[in-house]
Amino acid sequence: MTPTRRHILRVGGVLLAAPLAARLAGRAWAEDTVEIAMRGNADGSEVWFDPIGILIRPGQSVRWINRDPGNSHTSTAYHPQNSDRPLRIPAGAAPWNSDYLLPDESFSVTLTVEGTYDYFCIPHEHAGMVGRIVVGRPGGLEGSTVSSSASQGGEPVPDEALRAFPAVDEILRMGIVRHT
Amino acid sequence: MFLRFAVAAIAALAMPALTLPAFAADQVEKAPPSGAYKKVSTLVKLPDFLPGLGQLYVDPNTLPAGPFLAYDHNGKLVSTVYMLPIEDLSNKDNSFDNLAAPGGKVDHVDVYYNAGHPGVEKPHAHVVLWHVSKADEARVAK
Repeated sequence: MTPTRRHILRVGGVLLAAPLAARLAGRAWAEDTVEIAMRGNADGSEVWFDPIGILIRPGQSVRWINRDPGNSHTSTAYHPQNSDRPLRIPAGAAPWNSDYLLPDESFSVTLTVEGTYDYFCIPHEHAGMVGRIVVGRPGGLEGSTVSSSASQGGEPVPDEALRAFPAVDEILRMGIVRHT
Repeated sequence: MFLRFAVAAIAALAMPALTLPAFAADQVEKAPPSGAYKKVSTLVKLPDFLPGLGQLYVDPNTLPAGPFLAYDHNGKLVSTVYMLPIEDLSNKDNSFDNLAAPGGKVDHVDVYYNAGHPGVEKPHAHVVLWHVSKADEARVAK
C-alpha cells in the first residue's frame, strides 16, 4: 500500500439545499479535502479520530492521517465487505478500508453518495475509536441512513463504539464535532 | 482441571523443540535477543520504535501475553512487557500462568491500560517490568 491512496467511491451528484450549504460556508464544507487525524495519548490508553464527526458535501474528499507516533490505525467503513461488519453506510455506497497506517501515513476517499457513514479503527474499535461523516443530507432513520443498533448482521458493534458516535443532529448543527 | 493438565501435557510432548517459547537461557541483554524472538515491527504493522516502550521483540508463540522484550536506541534491554487482554483478566476461567521472565533483575513495575494496537487488537493491560531505574526510562521516551 502506498502512503496515500484515493478511492473514488461513487458519483452521486445530488446537491444540498442552498440554505444549509450557506450556513456551512467557511467550515469543512468549503474545502476540497477535509482532514481527520488519528490520534492517541502517550501511553496508548486513549485513541481517537479528530474530528469525530463531520459534515461534508457530496463529492468532497476525506483524508485520514495518522498523527499518533506510537501506534498504527485504520479507517474502515462499517460494511459487510469489511470482515462482515454491519452496514452503517448508505446503501449503494462503496466501502473502504485503509489497512494499517503507520505514523504520518494517510489515506483518502471521495464520498459522493448522500447519507451517513460510520467507520472505525480495526485495532481500536473496542476502545471506542469510531467516527461519523454526514454527506449532504443524512436521510433515513432518525435523520440517518445507518441503523441505531447492531441488528444488521455480522459481528455486533461493541457498546464502547456505539456510545462514541456523535449524534447526526449535532453534526448537522455544528458542522464539525471535535473529540472531547 | 484434569483435562487442562492433560491437554498441556500432550501439547508439551508433541511440540517440537523449535516451537517452544523462548527460555530464560536465551541471550536477551542486547538486541536482537536469541531464540524464537522476532522484532514486533516485522510481525505486525507497528512503528519500529514505540515512544515509552522502545523497540519490541516477542516470540510469536507467546502472543498476546508475551513476554515482549523492549530495547533502547542502543539495543540495551530496558524492560519486559506483558500484554494481558482486559476481557481475559475479567474472565474467572482464564489465567496467565508461568509467563517467562528472561530479563533478570527488576527495578520497578508499571501497570497501565492500553487501548490496543496491531497484534493485540483489544484493550489490554501493559505490565512492564523495568530493568532500569525510573530516571533511565527516558532512554525509551521517544
